[in-house]
Amino acid sequence: MPDIQALVSDLASKLRKRRVQGSYETARLTAELLCAVILQHKEPTTNGAASLIEAVRRVGEQLIAANPVELAVGNIVRHVLHIIREEDLSPLTDIVGELKLSAEDDVEDIAEDENSQKSSATTDGCLLKPPLLLAVFEHLPDSATACQTFSSENIFAGKADKSAKKLKSELIKAVNELIEDINTCREGIAEQAMELIHQNEVILTLGHSKFVKEFLCAAKEKKRSFEVFIADGAPKFEGHILAKELDKKGLKAIVITDSAVFAMISRVNMVIVGVHAVMANGGVIAPAGLHVLALAAKKHDVPFVVVASTHELCSLYPHNLEVLLNEMRCPSELLNFEEFSDCIDYGIASSSSLLHVVNPAFDYVPPELISLFVTDIGGYSPSYIYRLIADYYSSEDLPPQQKPAS
Amino acid sequence: MQFDDQGRVNKSKKRAVFNQPEAKNRVELFRHLPQYEHGSQLTDLESKFLELDSMHPAVYKVGVQYLAGDVTGGNARCIAMLRAFQEVINDYSTPPGKTLVRDLTAKISSYVSFLIECRPLSMSMGNAIRFQKSRIAKLPLTLSETEAKAALCNDIDRFINEKIILADKVIVRHAATKVRDGDVLLTYGSSCVVEMILLYAHELGKQFRVVVVDSRPKHEGQALLRRLLAKGLSCTYTHINAVSYIMHEVTRVFLGASSVLSNGTTYSRVGTACVAMVAHAFRVPVLICCEAYKFHERVQLDSICSNELGDSNDIARVPGRPDVNSMDNRTNEKNLQFLNLMYDATPSEYVSMIITDYGMIPPTSVPVIVREYRREYLLI
Repeated sequence: MPDIQALVSDLASKLRKRRVQGSYETARLTAELLCAVILQHKEPTTNGAASLIEAVRRVGEQLIAANPVELAVGNIVRHVLHIIREEDLSPLTDIVGELKLSAEDDVEDIAEDENSQKSSATTDGCLLKPPLLLAVFEHLPDSATACQTFSSENIFAGKADKSAKKLKSELIKAVNELIEDINTCREGIAEQAMELIHQNEVILTLGHSKFVKEFLCAAKEKKRSFEVFIADGAPKFEGHILAKELDKKGLKAIVITDSAVFAMISRVNMVIVGVHAVMANGGVIAPAGLHVLALAAKKHDVPFVVVASTHELCSLYPHNLEVLLNEMRCPSELLNFEEFSDCIDYGIASSSSLLHVVNPAFDYVPPELISLFVTDIGGYSPSYIYRLIADYYSSEDLPPQQKPAS
Repeated sequence: MQFDDQGRVNKSKKRAVFNQPEAKNRVELFRHLPQYEHGSQLTDLESKFLELDSMHPAVYKVGVQYLAGDVTGGNARCIAMLRAFQEVINDYSTPPGKTLVRDLTAKISSYVSFLIECRPLSMSMGNAIRFQKSRIAKLPLTLSETEAKAALCNDIDRFINEKIILADKVIVRHAATKVRDGDVLLTYGSSCVVEMILLYAHELGKQFRVVVVDSRPKHEGQALLRRLLAKGLSCTYTHINAVSYIMHEVTRVFLGASSVLSNGTTYSRVGTACVAMVAHAFRVPVLICCEAYKFHERVQLDSICSNELGDSNDIARVPGRPDVNSMDNRTNEKNLQFLNLMYDATPSEYVSMIITDYGMIPPTSVPVIVREYRREYLLI
């Protein structure tokens, strides 16, 4: 697929050079690219889903390697893989109904073993649906292949061509729905503004997030009057951009420096922020400065509300995030190199320079400091996030680089 | 003075030495604090140089230095003011029909209100002025004018020497015992005492690294960074947003203070509270280095009731970023305001220890020192 490869390389180079940034942009482009991949994929007649999964995974690995910090790419790849697996299983629901009655006693003891080993990735919904039986077969390392051939031979025998085409069309429909969701997630978030913001409220935020802006503007349109303190979020200074936009909408905005957040928090009712990614334990990766803000909010018992969309939800657990998933930005944003050129001397006495400048892009905020997540599918507390993972991702895809047993 | 009381504001404007237009777009929460348009103040004051015959040139010079921001930091401002007062006393001659005590006190008061117009007093300056006035009031009546003037100048010299210069030396000696080899010390902004501590510890041969945390709009840490690098210390420089990233490497935090209040709250440069809070969350000890003359019997719970507001254009204008700077002509829009706080109050639970010239004390001992030793220094 040469043209697909060209598209993939194009997006990968854009990610590597940081021309495309921000979870919304990257999510949308990745979803569209994967839609094109699925469309142009020529799959074999049997086991079409597995080859599709392989193709998508290969593309995903390339994209994730281009910018490992941009977690939205990995999220969309895993989401599409999950959609493929689900669509693969769903045509078999009616057939499985017949199968279940005949093979129940054989299956039951195996199912019990599997259930005890099963990770918490499967939801309650899955346990109720018949496809669990086939999913159970797929997970078992030794009997998997046997059962799969059993199922594919007996079930797909007469319906090979028809279900392959149907699979593809279902997939395209589902991925297009995903793209649509990404584009319209703001409305879902903005609808909840009325439930959280009351009259004469004082809100504090840091930096700029499109979701926060939509959230606040939605409340303003419904005639709630409140004022917003915006910390400017150096060295990106995106807070100024948000202040300008809120001012245009007629909202009262007061810009403060990041150092003044502790001073102002005692007079603030709520902190509302947007983040870069939400981790599976409910913690978030957020622009630098938000950990300080979260600590201050905890100290004064001010609710810390995180506004995120579901494509920012990542299935990874954080471990030493400050170092592993952080990006160091250019030091010249903090220090003017010309002014300090006389201080940056190399090669005297010790071999390293005396001056180091640290400019991390992200902070990790642990789930204990977060009060509420507002997403396009509703509001949740941080302890619930791990369950949402199961709706969007399959456990075989975590992480996509590892080859699972099936 | 309460700036939300319109009658008092009008009265003070009549007595004002130079013209200060009030800022048009004031933040409601801070109506009780003065907020002026900063563009025209300096030129206005400079143009009045020849008109102010009642103003001593030394005091005028100090006032201009405050307004322009050339002299910053509690100790520097206090010393500059006291030296100016020394010159005033030396050049003073009692006018006929008046007593030295009353007239000199009135003159000092008028100079103080001029300095307040240039920049609101810091707590160290307030304590020094109270000391000065009490010394004048306690002059024995039998002294001649020259003797009285000599005695007052002597008192000022002793105050500066004992309360500031020697106190700093004692603090530095105490604090250097808290620096061990292999330490990573964090400091925020630029405090003269902390700088002295770091340089002294370096001279003693201790091996340590320094992290300098800085913030907008003043970037005071850059000057400190330059001086430390010149002396050969290994430094890391970062912005206050990254303080939770860097805090896991830090072993001690040294902070300066503008004042320590009687409920243990530290009143210092805005951002100090954030740094102390993050250090507390990471279980890093926080040491405040503050001379005892800066202690005050006031109490404060938050940073809003009493603060200083700086120039809002400093926040609006970001040097080197034209896309963000298109906002700076909007500082007079109704909905958009800029708030430039200068100080904040750090709660006492974040502070492990306060190093003063009376020793190393916990924050709860501050009212004890204020009570026991305040009498002593007033009697020197």
